[in-house]
Amino acid sequence: MASELTTNSYINHHLTNLKCGKTDAGWTCDPYAEMGFWSFHVDSLLWSVILGCVFLFVFKKATPKKGGENSAPKGLQNFAEMCIEFVEDNVQSMFGSIKNTLVAPLALTVFIWILLMNLMDLVPVDFIPVLAGHIAAAITDVSWIKEPDDLYFKVVPTTDPNITLGMAFAVFILTIYYSITVKGIKAFVAELTLHPFGKYLIPVNFVLEMVNFIAKPISLGLRLFGNLYAGEMIFILIALMLFFSSIWVGVLGFALHLIWALFHVLIVALQAFIFMALTIAYLAMAHETEEH
Amino acid sequence: MDINATLIAQAIVFTAFVAICWKFIYPPMLSMMHEREQRIAEGLEAAKKADDSLEEAKLMYDKELSKAKKEAAEIIEKANSRASQIVSNAKTKAEEEAEKIMTSANTTIESETNRAKEELRQQMSDIIIDTTKKILDEEISAKKHDDLLKKAAQDL
Repeated sequence: MASELTTNSYINHHLTNLKCGKTDAGWTCDPYAEMGFWSFHVDSLLWSVILGCVFLFVFKKATPKKGGENSAPKGLQNFAEMCIEFVEDNVQSMFGSIKNTLVAPLALTVFIWILLMNLMDLVPVDFIPVLAGHIAAAITDVSWIKEPDDLYFKVVPTTDPNITLGMAFAVFILTIYYSITVKGIKAFVAELTLHPFGKYLIPVNFVLEMVNFIAKPISLGLRLFGNLYAGEMIFILIALMLFFSSIWVGVLGFALHLIWALFHVLIVALQAFIFMALTIAYLAMAHETEEH
Repeated sequence: MDINATLIAQAIVFTAFVAICWKFIYPPMLSMMHEREQRIAEGLEAAKKADDSLEEAKLMYDKELSKAKKEAAEIIEKANSRASQIVSNAKTKAEEEAEKIMTSANTTIESETNRAKEELRQQMSDIIIDTTKKILDEEISAKKHDDLLKKAAQDL
């Protein structure tokens, strides 16, 4: 199914996930098969799990064995402790005296994991997809992979809205859980219905508050997705410059790629931090018991 | 944009990773950091204490040193005065002794002189008596008398 390489097909190829799901004919990963909701972006999930494991592995390795020498930290341990102190500071500034042992580990996981996922953006755009395509073409004999180009393989999980919204909704459910357990169901419902217009306009209040309430996880997930998707898009466009016949356009493309990568490092870290900070902020709001 | 079951799968994976971090990664790391923090604080406290006691020891040392110096000076002073006292004592004694020796020597000289005088007197009277005897024996002439006297005078 590999057609002639055009600008459009190149961009599309980079923006399509490897999707597997159930069709009438059974489970398949054929990109042209029709699948409903019950399909999975295997590439996003794979990279997300790999990077999550990298995070857990690195931090487990950075913790010295129990009963061992607890002396001055070195190397990896220093890095891990720096991250933990950074997260603890942020949690402390928003939670203050409220005790919650889950928030700090949650924030650490969010920060490091999203940082790692965002960093995949800095791997040259064709590197892993082409490699994966060649491997897939060589070792599998399914009908829909004839040539390496037939395999779609996206490597940056945070450019997939399913991944960012999945995390945002997990955080959202936690917010609801803490709102109900800390404030009590009555206070929680009151918060959603008695503001801003008092008890005589409960339906209006509810609609307004509900929009506000639902907007939080959606904006949380879409902000991360949007920033990384745009960054990825620019990388793809810059990479396209290398296909022009002029060598000078190629050289310019190379320079632009370097500049954009340097700038993108900022976005990568900043978006990871923003996601973490908002996660902490939403959970802190769920713990606030006083009326506003 | 294609929203599908990936969202649910990611939410579950996310929950699992957070749970693992919450249960197995974060607490040991944090407790270790706290423990070290405490140990460092204790170490700093101990260092401060040691510093204080060093300061104290220095003060004590200075005090003892000045005390010892003072004592030494006192001892030297005492020794000096004692030495001068001994010297002066010895001088007095020596002077007294010398005086005594002089006195006894003078007494001896005097008594010796007296004895010699006595002896002389004795001898003179003997001579006089003798000479008188001789004069009386040999009839006294003026000339002889003179001669005799001269002879007696010469004998004296």
